[in-house]
Amino acid sequence: MATNAPIPGGSGEIPPITPSRPIIPETPSEISASSNSLQPPPSSSDTDRIYIPSYSRWFSWNEINECEVRSLPELFDSRSSSKNPRVYLYLRNSIIKQYRDEHPNKISFTDVRRTLVGDVVSIRRVFDFLDSWGLINYSSSASAKPLKWDDKEAVASEPPSTVKESAKRICNGCKSVCSVACFASEKYELTLCARCYVRGNYRVGINSSEFKRVELSEESKTGWSEKETLLLLEAVMHYGDDWKKVASHVTGRTEKDCVSQFVKLPFGEQFAKDSDSEDALETFNQIKGSADPESEGRVKDGSSSPDYKRMKLTPLADASNPIMAQAAFLSALAGTKVAEAAARAAVTALSDIDHEAGKNAGGDPNGQEINGNNSERAVAEAKSLLEKEEKEVEGAIREIVEVEMMKIRDRIVHFEKLDLEMERSRKQLEEMKNLLFTDQLNIFFHTRRSRKAEDRAEC
Amino acid sequence: MKASGSSGWKGPVKFRMPTAENLVPIRLDIQFEGQRYKDAFTWNPSDPDNEIVLFARRTVKDLKLPPAFFTQISQSIQSQLADFRAYEGQDMYTGEKIIPIKLDLRVNQTLIKDQFLWDLNNFESDPEEFARTLCKDLGVEDPEVGPAVAFAIREQLYEIAVQSVSSARESRLSKKSRRGSDYGSASKASGLSMDLVKLFSFKSSVVRKRKDLDIYEPMVDLLTNEEVDALEAREERHAR
Repeated sequence: MATNAPIPGGSGEIPPITPSRPIIPETPSEISASSNSLQPPPSSSDTDRIYIPSYSRWFSWNEINECEVRSLPELFDSRSSSKNPRVYLYLRNSIIKQYRDEHPNKISFTDVRRTLVGDVVSIRRVFDFLDSWGLINYSSSASAKPLKWDDKEAVASEPPSTVKESAKRICNGCKSVCSVACFASEKYELTLCARCYVRGNYRVGINSSEFKRVELSEESKTGWSEKETLLLLEAVMHYGDDWKKVASHVTGRTEKDCVSQFVKLPFGEQFAKDSDSEDALETFNQIKGSADPESEGRVKDGSSSPDYKRMKLTPLADASNPIMAQAAFLSALAGTKVAEAAARAAVTALSDIDHEAGKNAGGDPNGQEINGNNSERAVAEAKSLLEKEEKEVEGAIREIVEVEMMKIRDRIVHFEKLDLEMERSRKQLEEMKNLLFTDQLNIFFHTRRSRKAEDRAEC
Repeated sequence: MKASGSSGWKGPVKFRMPTAENLVPIRLDIQFEGQRYKDAFTWNPSDPDNEIVLFARRTVKDLKLPPAFFTQISQSIQSQLADFRAYEGQDMYTGEKIIPIKLDLRVNQTLIKDQFLWDLNNFESDPEEFARTLCKDLGVEDPEVGPAVAFAIREQLYEIAVQSVSSARESRLSKKSRRGSDYGSASKASGLSMDLVKLFSFKSSVVRKRKDLDIYEPMVDLLTNEEVDALEAREERHAR
């Protein structure tokens, strides 16, 4: 194996198993097509070095990483016998081998498809997946590195460079970009847009309560990394209320950003999972205990927002009714507090309208009477509804009883028929017995007669 | 699937490719404005239909075909899939069905000629596996040959499966005779299947007759470029 030249910027290496060219992963900081902060390789025209991005460091020839399972679920859920991990491994490894043979030329899907045995749809999916993760057709030149698929094709998954810096959240269910709010389940590492969440567009085994609501409107613009969050917390702890100093401590963020991010920090749950940020949790607790009144106010805000986020939304059960589904979707998007407020406002508005209608109809300016009318009307309505229900129930019971009666009648008729049959066969049996008896008698007489004849003949 | 090996006929089975994986062979041969696009691949019929569009678009882009091919490709794929699906609901009879499969194809510069017996009853058969082993054993280097061989086998299996569906339908239509004897005549009428009983009876031996030896032996030829061009020219002349 050729020795690997050291590359500035601290990118790692993968020990290659089969190819003779060394594989060197790079460390790009952002993968969006707009920003080109890729670090240029030491020599541009290198035909015997293959670069892959550092976010694809998980790749190994003989194993399947879970991000592959996630991106290509249909190959792993054994719905079809021709889609299974073995096939996936074969396709993936052959595609990569073929690319590395052709390197630095790029390979197209059709080249690959012709040489592989398998159904072309799976091949295309695996090809796209490898392409997006930079395992094939990855050019490390600093020129624009657009993701290599058509605009209209559904984006399978975006390779995040670091987890917190993902520019956009893609819904795992409908493969669309999540805009306002999305639902993330850390247990299963799924992200769903609000529509898919309400529709239940996720795998069968997952409960709807496993999802947490994540606001996206600010996140998509900034994408706070762990370091920045840590800096922010430190700064708040030191400077308390002076957001100017906090902003200067957290490099690259305006005051407003710092404030909004601080308010939004999902304390407790998220940091409990992260072992690195336990100190952050402690600093936050210290901040909580601080006597500064203003920061206390803000802290309370911060602590209320996690409850707000942690509230587990269960989608309204009856999603078959389109109006209900729409209402569920809207309420999921907007959040519980907003939905509550809206509902309350709607109810009061409705009662106001009722109020007005009552006034106009009754013509009586007395408010209490009108209220009484309203409640009486409601009571009368309820009573009539009750009566209707009772009548319906009675009718249903009557029908059931009738049906049962008919059944019993039929059975009786059937039994009578059977009885008749029995009688008939019994009579037949009797007749046959009689016949047999007469036959026996005849035989007996005949034998008597013949014996008498014999006796007479002998004498 | 029920294990093969029992003699006589089993009940009718729902139509599907008699291979371990239910993949449909799709062949494309489109000519447009002087450009000819020939291709053959396998498709999984349980994939959603939007994949057809994606695949067609990708192929047109990769091969730099004029955009008019896009609609033709997707239409062709769709009609072939629809044919397959039309057969899918119907029954096909599976009896003793050992059929000879012939290979006679040219891929880039490799020419393969072969004939062998295939058990149609074996629903676990794998043409891809066979193709892979064949190429490895014969030392075929061109990686495109394997899939082409697998495709050819699959195509022939598909045709024969289709025939068995139509023969099942015919036997059902004729209501005169009882099912068992009717089926037997139908299978013999197809003419392709070999009579195993006769083949393996004590009178004949299992060893192949000498005159058949040449046919059943695989033959691989590597052509030079000129020969390839000559062959292609001849094929085109035949096509017209």
